[in-house]
Amino acid sequence: MTVSRREFLIGSAAALALGMVGSAPRAAAAGKKESVDRWVKGVCRYCGTGCGVLVGVRGDRAVAVKGDPNNHNAGLLCLKGAMLIPVIYAGDRITEPMIRRGGKGSPLTKVSWDEALDFAADAFRKALDAGGPDAVAYYGSGQAPTEESYLANKIWKAGFRTNNVDGNPRLCMASAVAGYLTTFGKDEPMGTYNDMDTATCFFIIGSNTSEAHPVLFRRIAQRKENSPDVKIIVADPRRTNTSRIADLHMSFIAGTDLALLNGMAHVIIREELDNPRFYGRYVNFVTNDGKPCAFEDYKAFLAEYTPEKVQEITGVPAADVIRAAKFFAESSSTLSLWCMGINQRTRGVWANNLIHNLHLLTGQIGRPGASPLSLTGQPNACGGVRDTGSLAHLLPAGRMVANEKHRAEMEEFWGVPKGTIQPKIGHHTVALFEAMAKGTVRAVFIHCTNPAHTLPDLNALTKGLETAFVAQTECFMDAETLKYADVVFPAAFWCETDGVCGCTERRYALTEQAIKPMGNCRPTVQILMDFAERAGVDPKLFPYRTAADIWEEWRTLSKGSPYDFYGMTRARLKRESGIKWPCPAEDHPGTNLRYVRGEDPLVPANHPDRLFFYGRPDGRANIFLRPHQPPFEPADKEYPFVLTTGRVIDHWHTATMTGKVPELQKAYPSAFVEINPDDAKKLGVSNGDRVVLETRRDKMTFPARITDTCMPGLVFCPFFDKNKLVNRLFHHAVDNTSKEPEYKICATKVYKQA
Amino acid sequence: MRSNVKRTLQVFAVLLLGVGVFFLYLDKAFPRVRCEGAHLSVPEKYADCVSCHAKSTARATQDWKESKHGAMLVKCVVCHGEPDGKGSIPFSANPDPATICARCHDPAMQRMAAKFGGSADCNTCHPRHQNPLHSDAYQHKAPSGKTSF
Repeated sequence: MTVSRREFLIGSAAALALGMVGSAPRAAAAGKKESVDRWVKGVCRYCGTGCGVLVGVRGDRAVAVKGDPNNHNAGLLCLKGAMLIPVIYAGDRITEPMIRRGGKGSPLTKVSWDEALDFAADAFRKALDAGGPDAVAYYGSGQAPTEESYLANKIWKAGFRTNNVDGNPRLCMASAVAGYLTTFGKDEPMGTYNDMDTATCFFIIGSNTSEAHPVLFRRIAQRKENSPDVKIIVADPRRTNTSRIADLHMSFIAGTDLALLNGMAHVIIREELDNPRFYGRYVNFVTNDGKPCAFEDYKAFLAEYTPEKVQEITGVPAADVIRAAKFFAESSSTLSLWCMGINQRTRGVWANNLIHNLHLLTGQIGRPGASPLSLTGQPNACGGVRDTGSLAHLLPAGRMVANEKHRAEMEEFWGVPKGTIQPKIGHHTVALFEAMAKGTVRAVFIHCTNPAHTLPDLNALTKGLETAFVAQTECFMDAETLKYADVVFPAAFWCETDGVCGCTERRYALTEQAIKPMGNCRPTVQILMDFAERAGVDPKLFPYRTAADIWEEWRTLSKGSPYDFYGMTRARLKRESGIKWPCPAEDHPGTNLRYVRGEDPLVPANHPDRLFFYGRPDGRANIFLRPHQPPFEPADKEYPFVLTTGRVIDHWHTATMTGKVPELQKAYPSAFVEINPDDAKKLGVSNGDRVVLETRRDKMTFPARITDTCMPGLVFCPFFDKNKLVNRLFHHAVDNTSKEPEYKICATKVYKQA
Repeated sequence: MRSNVKRTLQVFAVLLLGVGVFFLYLDKAFPRVRCEGAHLSVPEKYADCVSCHAKSTARATQDWKESKHGAMLVKCVVCHGEPDGKGSIPFSANPDPATICARCHDPAMQRMAAKFGGSADCNTCHPRHQNPLHSDAYQHKAPSGKTSF
């Protein structure tokens, strides 16, 4: 063989080129611009911030996501929202209906849609025959689009004739709902995110905004950056990333927030920072048992909450309590933000009332930047579940099951005979799963949620899932609840179908269908209607072809109600990036300041007062005399630590979605326990050591993360990890009024694994 | 003599080809950057870029921590992708601003382009990692050192 110099050079170049070729695609990919055929408007699939997104579609595939510049997030997304695409094409998407032929414990088998729907319908019919209407139930979600929740609520309450309709918002927002209802007479906040651009003081309590609502945190930080004199108070037993921008961080002992809030009210009155002109005109004072009283009674009630006493109870220095109260009251406009730290408590409603008290006492309400704004955790808990009344005690648009007039109104609107809707309130979430365990509820339809992961006291409450027939819509195979499902319907995922979501600030926005449902998936409204018809519900109850038809009915129903969004036609929602209700007419721009004359279309233009709390019979809001009460299970000698749970920025809920994104999954592949360095030293625990958390329910082992984020005596575990279901450790005591469980506090032992 | 040269060239060409194939194999079989190799025993830390980069690129890490991205927890992988190249964002030590910055800052980039004619590289005016929170605000508030008279 002879090789010329030329041949040699060619050969060498070829060899080198061969070596290089492997790296070429990566280099090209890194620099490649995402070319898309069209951008389709929608709302992020994750949290309650409700950021607008644009889904980039190339051919029949979604290939990119970017922020919608016309929505409140002005084009910005957090790391979860920016990486939504891999979730759609996750390898474990459920694309075929499945049933468990051999009962619980047997394998799921792929079947046809007809077989799956008949299988579920038969089980429901048997349950109805054996136990009557209350033997079936629906357990929904604050993640389901509004049309799905409205339809399910109608099918169960007017079709199956049971009020056993509840959902995961019971586990996160119920206390905020009851807080708004008891204080202002109507649910949903009066302010919006716009208030973040004008507030001069932020009071953030029980919320790790930085990790749970990153885009809102950025907006608050931007406000602080633009105006450094803006004060930010963060009250949280953990010193989270949110506190990085705080002027004052108050680490109170978990479960003592009621005393802290009353202490701030005490200082406000003592320092004469209250606003008698405001509360004299717009406020009633009410005792804890609901009787009217006077301001002097309130003042006397607060007398014991001196800053020194509050320091004793909460651990927050008296000087900080005074500072916080002054920041709050002296600012020109104070915005309060709170989330699960306040809501997931056995006194969550009281805590909500006490935040409202501060605003009503100081008149920090009904002006730009001055508002109590409850943050929500899911993309459609507000619009889909709260507003459509898809809970056991509610009917659409603020109506109550227990109110005969409200039931009659809904029966007339839905065209069902009088008396169809039962007067008995259905089971709230915890009671529902207990009833399933007892066998009184025999069949449940679970939609778009993962209760086997998210319920409290899982060892006790999942017995209900082991006992009852479970029909479930689910998109991902790793959802914990699938272990208990008897039939699984593959639902079309986000942006494979269309639907409206309503976020924290009363903003309704449409997610349009960008791509076809994967495999054999179907839109949930279709699944619900097909199932209900086979289960014996009169199909005249749901004469819809598409989700848009359902929206049209719900929009008409809202007309003239305190939730009036009649002006939000489907066509308008397609054009605009979200509209805030009340919005009674197509030419109405939406409402920023609710209850305010000249802003809220439901307040008459000639109303004598600037503010009108029309949810209350006399138009006045309530200041409640709510005393401090300890949590259900405080730390004690036997179980000396307080365990709390929450989110990390990289994961959302049960990580069935974020777990599919390599970047997010690798950032936090598994749960850990945060321990204060002082406690770690006493326990002899180092970073990474296996640590046992033992409560009265169960015990579990986690790797330790030694950090001063937690105050001494407090340990924290995130709840996203399906392999470490931390909710097994929690009790299932609930708030008396809202029936929301106390996920934030339970007593635990902490020790190093032997 | 001539045949010896040819022979040497042949061997050399085969060797070179072998080396090329070897590198191709390496490139295909192993990630470009093997961060997990540094802590194989602690899988929880696979994507904990900061703990290593606080030592290896201390300045960049500190800048990031103090930047808006650091305060907002916009982590390394959001712009740089996974070092093993197995993530949803292509790994790049120097991400292309036109693609990566635009994911979040598209409206601002369009405003900038309309106002100043745009720039091929955002980092020319906004150095990477160096955008501390409150920077402007604190500069405005900082004493100038000059007396008022």
